[in-house]
Amino acid sequence: MAVRSKVKIKKFSRAQVVFHWVYGSSWFLLMLTGMSFLWRPDPGAAAVGLGPLLQGTVGQSFRLVHRVAAIGLMASPLTWLVGDFRSLWPDLKELLRFGINDARYMLIAPLHYTFGKPALPPQGKYNGGHKVNFYVVVLTFIGFVSSGLLMWFGRGAVPDGTFHMAQIVHSTSFWLGAIMTALHIYLTAVHPFTRRALSAMTQGFVELNYAKAEHKVWVEKEIAAGTAVLVEEPGDC
Amino acid sequence: MGRTATLAAWRPDPGNPKQQVAMLVDTTECIGCKACEVACKQWNQNEYRINQELGTYQSHPSLDAQTWTLIKFIEREDEDGVNQWLMQKHNCMHCSEAGCVTACPTDALHYGDYGVVTLDQEKCIGCAYCEPACPFDAIHVDKSAFRQTAQKAGKCTLCFDRISNAMQPACVSTCPTDCIKYGDRGELLKWAYARVEQLKAMGYANANVYGDKELGGLHELYVLLEKPEVYGLPVNPTLSKRLTFWKYGLQPVGKAILGAALFGMVINWFAARRTFKGGHGPGEEAEAPASLHD
Ligand code: HEM
Ligand code: SF4
Ligand code: SF4
Ligand code: SF4
Repeated sequence: MAVRSKVKIKKFSRAQVVFHWVYGSSWFLLMLTGMSFLWRPDPGAAAVGLGPLLQGTVGQSFRLVHRVAAIGLMASPLTWLVGDFRSLWPDLKELLRFGINDARYMLIAPLHYTFGKPALPPQGKYNGGHKVNFYVVVLTFIGFVSSGLLMWFGRGAVPDGTFHMAQIVHSTSFWLGAIMTALHIYLTAVHPFTRRALSAMTQGFVELNYAKAEHKVWVEKEIAAGTAVLVEEPGDC
Repeated sequence: MGRTATLAAWRPDPGNPKQQVAMLVDTTECIGCKACEVACKQWNQNEYRINQELGTYQSHPSLDAQTWTLIKFIEREDEDGVNQWLMQKHNCMHCSEAGCVTACPTDALHYGDYGVVTLDQEKCIGCAYCEPACPFDAIHVDKSAFRQTAQKAGKCTLCFDRISNAMQPACVSTCPTDCIKYGDRGELLKWAYARVEQLKAMGYANANVYGDKELGGLHELYVLLEKPEVYGLPVNPTLSKRLTFWKYGLQPVGKAILGAALFGMVINWFAARRTFKGGHGPGEEAEAPASLHD
């Protein structure tokens, strides 16, 4: 454990952390309550799967929770917008720039995080994986909100084919999002190395040593510019 | 043609749930009295809704969650300029390949015994996925109910509670002209084709049987005087491609990829635990911990 540094560098503002968790918890509720729709097996077969557990009032309550959580999800970006407007553009700018370095990162990462090699190209504040995650989040957010609102308010008013299209868009967003979420949770809370990044989304700070290894470009830039916010933690971290 | 007296005593075999029952509406015998509508409301304790469209004898513009059968009135001129007044008893067709069952996320809608598509309102969650999935506009969810828990789907049950107790469907037993017949599906089809031959001999060249082959075979059959489209019935209906893609394409593929991804993570975890002992990364500086003071 000798390498664990007690010095941490600030990565996210409080508003960003709040945004992340409002979005994440709404998403989780939506996933749990929405999932029930997709687990009824072939209707010709005897009933197995989640369907039978979710009948009647249980399922109806799930639908209600789904709507409440949907409002939470749709409103969550306000927390970042209102709470820390200044960080919005610089962060978005970096997230939206996907270069050759990011592509190389995406190719190497599966091997690197399994065998420790080959080495990854040095990354900025957001690595290629963060960026891909962000794209999936934005894409599924648009998919969920547009199709969800259509199913919510357009029921009976839109043509049948449009309703079915909304079901397809909602489901596709679900599978894409669910796979990304599983990977996201694995890498930030389970994987022995990368889970050290979790504190960035709880305290806003991440170990300096870890940041140097994973986000070299960003750390060097912050230190050189004198904008790095460092803290030393007492005791073991 | 023989009246249903021949069929009135008919009961499905209680020991053979695979037996296919059906209702056959000989529309040429219907007088549009709507006794079936009343009997259906009464037996199923459905709310009476005054919902008449002006300018027609039709009682409701369409079926709804509390109106499970409806005599549709079609007034038109045929090819020879003769006025026609057609009636069609419309309700759930109990399809063998039912869009509603395919779409239903719970087990509320089910392929039941005797070929009946059953709906268990206790299980229904009111999501209305069944509504756009039905090619016949025969199932509806009560949107007027204020409380969400009161929002349930409603449709003709082929009086499953009656027929499974050796009774006839309520609408059948009340029909004064016996134009709604109930019995073994195969027998009814034979009767229907014979009736169509008879009608053709009488000069009704467009007479036809509807429901024999549609969607794997319907359990509501018709002897029609005119082509199905005249009644607003779909010609060669199919399940929506989007619906079947949603159910049989996206869902299994999504589950498979999610499963593979989770499996990959487990494998990765076993390998990464050895690679990154103590959480130490390979690119990480090996020197003493960085400190603010050094
Ligand atoms: C944020 C806006 C969202 C809205 C407005 C919304 C709304 C809806 C609505 C109206 C339905 C139809 C069922 C019903 O009437 O209860 C539905 C189904 C569903 N929702 Fe959402 N939802 C949203 C986000 C999400 C998210 C983030 C997830 C998953 C993580 C999700 C997962 C599902 C699933 C799996 C279904 C059934 C899927 C399908 O029919 O294809 N939803 N949602
Ligand atoms: S007619 Fe409609 S409601 Fe009836 S079984 Fe067919 S799809 Fe379902
Ligand atoms: S409204 Fe009820 S019957 Fe219709 S699909 Fe939803 S759960 Fe099934
Ligand atoms: S079979 Fe029963 S539920 Fe169906 S229309 Fe006739 S009376 Fe109504």
